[in-house]
Amino acid sequence: MHENLNEPLLRSARKAVAPCDRCGSCLTVCPLFGARDVEASSARGKNAITRALADGVIEPGPDVLKAVNFCLLCRACVDNCPSKVQTDEAMVDVRQYLWEKTGGMNAKYRAVGGFLKNNALVKLAAQSLALCRKFGLNRVFPYGMAPDEYTRAHFLAAFAGPAALGQPAPRTDIDVRASSRVAYFHGCGMRMMFPEAASETLEILRGTTRPVLKDNLCCGLPHLAHGLRGDFLALARKNIALYDDADIVVSDCASCGGTLKHMAAWFADDPLWRDRATAFSRKVMDLTEYLVKVGYRPRLKVDALLTYHDPCHLVRGQGIRSEPRDLLRATGRFVEMRDPDTCCGGAGSFHMDYPAVAAKILGKKRRNIEESGAKVVVTGCPGCLIQLNKAAKAGKGRFKAMHISQVI
Amino acid sequence: MMTRRLTLFAPEPYLPEEMGMITDKIKHQIRSIVGPENALDSDLDRFGYSYDSSYVPLRPENKPDLVVRPLTAREVSSVMALASEHEIPVTPRGAASGRTGGSIPLRGGISLCLDRMTRIVELDEGNMMVTAEAGVRTIDLYNHCAAKGLFFPPDPASWKFSTIGGNVAENAGGMRAVKYGVTSNYVMGLEVVLADGTILKTGGKALKNVTGYDLKSLFTGSEGTLGIITQALLRLIPMPKKRGTLQVMFGSLEEGCTTVHRMLQAAIVPAAAEIMDRFSLEAVAKYRGTSLDPTAQACLIMEIDGESDEALASQARQIQAVAEGCGALAFRVAQSQQESDELWAARRGLSSAVASLAPTRLGEDISVPRDAFPEVVRRIRVISEKYGLPIAVYGHAGDGNIHPSILCDLGNPEQEKRVHGAVDEIFAAALAVGGTLSGEHGIGITKQPYITQALGDAGIKTLIAVKKALDPKGILNPGKIW
Repeated sequence: MHENLNEPLLRSARKAVAPCDRCGSCLTVCPLFGARDVEASSARGKNAITRALADGVIEPGPDVLKAVNFCLLCRACVDNCPSKVQTDEAMVDVRQYLWEKTGGMNAKYRAVGGFLKNNALVKLAAQSLALCRKFGLNRVFPYGMAPDEYTRAHFLAAFAGPAALGQPAPRTDIDVRASSRVAYFHGCGMRMMFPEAASETLEILRGTTRPVLKDNLCCGLPHLAHGLRGDFLALARKNIALYDDADIVVSDCASCGGTLKHMAAWFADDPLWRDRATAFSRKVMDLTEYLVKVGYRPRLKVDALLTYHDPCHLVRGQGIRSEPRDLLRATGRFVEMRDPDTCCGGAGSFHMDYPAVAAKILGKKRRNIEESGAKVVVTGCPGCLIQLNKAAKAGKGRFKAMHISQVI
Repeated sequence: MMTRRLTLFAPEPYLPEEMGMITDKIKHQIRSIVGPENALDSDLDRFGYSYDSSYVPLRPENKPDLVVRPLTAREVSSVMALASEHEIPVTPRGAASGRTGGSIPLRGGISLCLDRMTRIVELDEGNMMVTAEAGVRTIDLYNHCAAKGLFFPPDPASWKFSTIGGNVAENAGGMRAVKYGVTSNYVMGLEVVLADGTILKTGGKALKNVTGYDLKSLFTGSEGTLGIITQALLRLIPMPKKRGTLQVMFGSLEEGCTTVHRMLQAAIVPAAAEIMDRFSLEAVAKYRGTSLDPTAQACLIMEIDGESDEALASQARQIQAVAEGCGALAFRVAQSQQESDELWAARRGLSSAVASLAPTRLGEDISVPRDAFPEVVRRIRVISEKYGLPIAVYGHAGDGNIHPSILCDLGNPEQEKRVHGAVDEIFAAALAVGGTLSGEHGIGITKQPYITQALGDAGIKTLIAVKKALDPKGILNPGKIW
């Protein structure tokens, strides 16, 4: 046995899992353990793997990489843990360590990461999707990566009955301070997959302020999550600089928002960027958080039964639970589904890497949505929306899936 | 007095001489019994079944050769028949939430994981009994019965994830033991697969039963060394209609303990009576960012239950009178469910609050006669001073079960030595006041060095005689208890 604690990433991960006393609290909440109930799937199993890797009890290898990649980073375990062990952070560190140690094993993620780093390619992809949708070609893409988009126009046609149409949408009565410069963060997922929802976000923002549009880059979460930390940091620096002159940065993507809000932590040891990153993270707000803060009132009252799926990166990543619900209650009739904050199985590229497991997790989500009786499941994350769209399709039209900016 | 080194850090347990290996042929046979996906042998999967919730360090040599996850008692029986024929060690396991290393395989072989056996077979409302398979989670059983107004009281701290099989095998306790007893008080019958694969059904629904030896009691608390418990028939009681929470602060731990004794002598039995010392209170205050009365040295949190709000109010008044007679500083009755939850959150979050103060929290589990509680706590204070290690003391004041938590850094070799000394002396203190090594966690691996002192030679010989009669080849959970 030899210790690997001279590796800073492992040391950091080992420190994160040190408070784990292997009690088993996480077993009941880990969605992956729910779908594949062997120890290595659970947070306890992953914490033990981290500890064993650092202490030299197990050796790094493809099976270990596979095990640490098999994590949604959904933080359900962290939330439920008596000692609040940050398993997700440990997983990000261990993935990074293994990538650096074993190189090429993460080639797939490197390709995706390289693609997302390139803003021109991301925009091109968005245009291609629009074209595909136009000709119905999106249905041939695997993993639902080119989802149909149920638009606000469809939604209003279905749910805004004559009564609703008869009333003009109440104008928002927020007193927007002239001094607040509100900028929009246009995430890759929203850009490539849900352009209609992104333009609804802008439409909403225009009702409250004069949103500043930036040619921002990817938030870097896909890179961070898969051992491409250098790329993440490079993207982060560019984005931080880009939003220097904004007072508020609004994100309509839970994952981008969560990543941007936690940016400061990754620059804690960087004297050049630490303060700028901290200042940047402080001004990031989720769309719903911003809207509730400024007293936004939905554009139209609709007669639809709505339910809400909590994106992991919003509910646990940012502690935002009540804001989207408040907005939905003001829009239509709201019903809570069972386990609304359980991961949908999307988790970035997880649903492509483990389609069967993701489908099993999504199946539970779909049953919960259907049992709620809601006609529309609303969420605030394009990653979740891809999954929920698949669920809606499998549900044969019993419900639709929409981004919150298309509904409120 | 304690000469053997703590097995917690370097196990040197009793083990049979030679044991059989799992050949590819045997693996194939096992796969055909439980299905290929339920017999795991990848290195990482074997590692996943090599630890539990004790502080036994992760070690490659604790990996089983094969993880087997049967679905039925019949499958367990077939696996045991094979294991017996080839003398392969079998270590049963539920959720691995045990605190003493009981489910850690020490000799390779099979980790027999019963977590797929999750059927609640029958809820007999007339006789107020429930039959459940070993892998049913305690909380699921509780909720299933509660939906029919029936109450399964044993509530080990791990009840949200631990399994009934594990609870029975360890004879788990919990906070409600003071009024309602522990798991064994509810076991009416068991289905056990014996070492050779025979399926034994013992006990039954008859409340009075003296036909033959009381085998169900023998298997309860046997830590997987005598047989594989696959199903349990458990007694239930009607669910109390109302529950309330009280919090009493004292200027000394003795006053808190005396309050509990006087209550019990006056037939005022709380459903739970948890005591925390000053150190624990400070840890909670720090963890939760709350303030603490500087004169408070101990806190008693109690659950009371009864038929009606009036009954609860009357109990609360009686308890208040007793507590004030013992010098209580403050007495609080939770006025709402939320307040009650807050009071209990302090107790439930205690382990974590204490654990956050040091790299390692070594939680022990000693049990003493109720009236020796203050005395053993005094001794623990002396031990804490002597070894220069902070020790938080809390536990179930109502039944004398104490959890001293040593705060330390086991990564520091110098401290590790002091920790050994302190643990040795804590066990010695428990035995000296007429207590025992474990109230509810079992012996497993971590308490082995002390068992002879606790039970005496005759005691150990009797255990071994029973073990040999039921498991002549020594394949069941080898290396545990003594």
